Amino acid sequence: MSLSSRMVAVLTSIGLLSGGFLVTVGFVTKERIAFNKKMEIERAILTVVPGASGGRIVYEEKDFTVYAGQDKAGQLAGFAVYTSGAGFQDKIVLMLGLDAALSRINGLAILDQKETPGLGARITDEGSFLVYWEGRDFSRPLSLRKPPAPSPESLSASEVNTVTGATISSQAVLGIVNSAREKLLKLNQEGKLSLEGDNAN
Amino acid sequence: MPTKTATQEFLKGLWEENPIFRQILGMCPTLAVTNAVINGLAMGLATSFVLVFSSFLISLIKKLIPSQVRIASYIVVIASFVTIADRVLAAYFWDISKALGPYVPLIVVNCNILGRAEAFASKNKVGRSVMDALGVSAGFILALLVLSSIREVLGSGTFLGYRVLGSWFEPWTIMVLPAGGFITLGILMAISIQLERKRKER
Repeated sequence: MSLSSRMVAVLTSIGLLSGGFLVTVGFVTKERIAFNKKMEIERAILTVVPGASGGRIVYEEKDFTVYAGQDKAGQLAGFAVYTSGAGFQDKIVLMLGLDAALSRINGLAILDQKETPGLGARITDEGSFLVYWEGRDFSRPLSLRKPPAPSPESLSASEVNTVTGATISSQAVLGIVNSAREKLLKLNQEGKLSLEGDNAN
Repeated sequence: MPTKTATQEFLKGLWEENPIFRQILGMCPTLAVTNAVINGLAMGLATSFVLVFSSFLISLIKKLIPSQVRIASYIVVIASFVTIADRVLAAYFWDISKALGPYVPLIVVNCNILGRAEAFASKNKVGRSVMDALGVSAGFILALLVLSSIREVLGSGTFLGYRVLGSWFEPWTIMVLPAGGFITLGILMAISIQLERKRKER
């Protein structure tokens, strides 16, 4: 065999063997990876919708999914919104929990972020940031309080705290939540968020 | 070249040919993921898996590969093992896989692995290549552990997630940032050069 055909033969067989092997590995792990992703979202829904025992999708578009959180009796316990937007360095992905009437924020969870460790990344901190979102009024757009208030009680109903040293990241989260709010209210007016409507499908 | 025993092939990777402190190879993952011990350890283990298996396979098929296409062949072999490591981490160690992010796929371009394939596995017998790969892996893991321990303890006040320094300690945020990685690596490298110098004088 000439050198060039030997080179072609060797590279082709290595490529084929490796491709075949990888298809097998991908096939074996695919389900498990999808399951991990689903569990992560499920956990987040349960955190931000108190009383919910499960959730299901009522509205979905790219990077924006609305889940209806249901309690054990199947009643609507609230909504969870999976949404994202630009942070300081990369996309911030979050889960926003609302009550059934879309009037109050029940909780906020950050699912993914690549903000600066020690500064922007403190938006994932429960005590200094996330706790300030619980119980906020959702009927008006929210605003940031800077410098931060010492406790959730000393904020007005539509204010949330800025994390000291993470103004940009705090603003990014606020922007994501406010634009999700507009989208949600519009969807609600159009009647796209009802549980019944989805049942018919 | 004086012939070495299999044990010597292993041991040289720990210090004499330590990939990080002596050969200064594979710096990208070294600096990027050593902000916490668990990330450093996971990266070390994933890299070792790829290194040992690709060294084994390359050494096994070295005679079949025409030298003109050897680098391309090595990269395909390495990339396959990296993809396996990436998928397995995502399937069974979801949190670690998320924390390491794009750095697992980037093991493909870790020069340690191609370096060992080209410098050692392509010229030596299978057993010897595996010992060499194991030694270099151990050296890599060791260096990542030292680096990430220092950075996590000083940068977050924790070790493997457990608080080791009391609440009096104000974490040095810079240590978990890229700059802290460079500073720690620089200091450790200076110490290792000093130790090596002392060892040679003796």
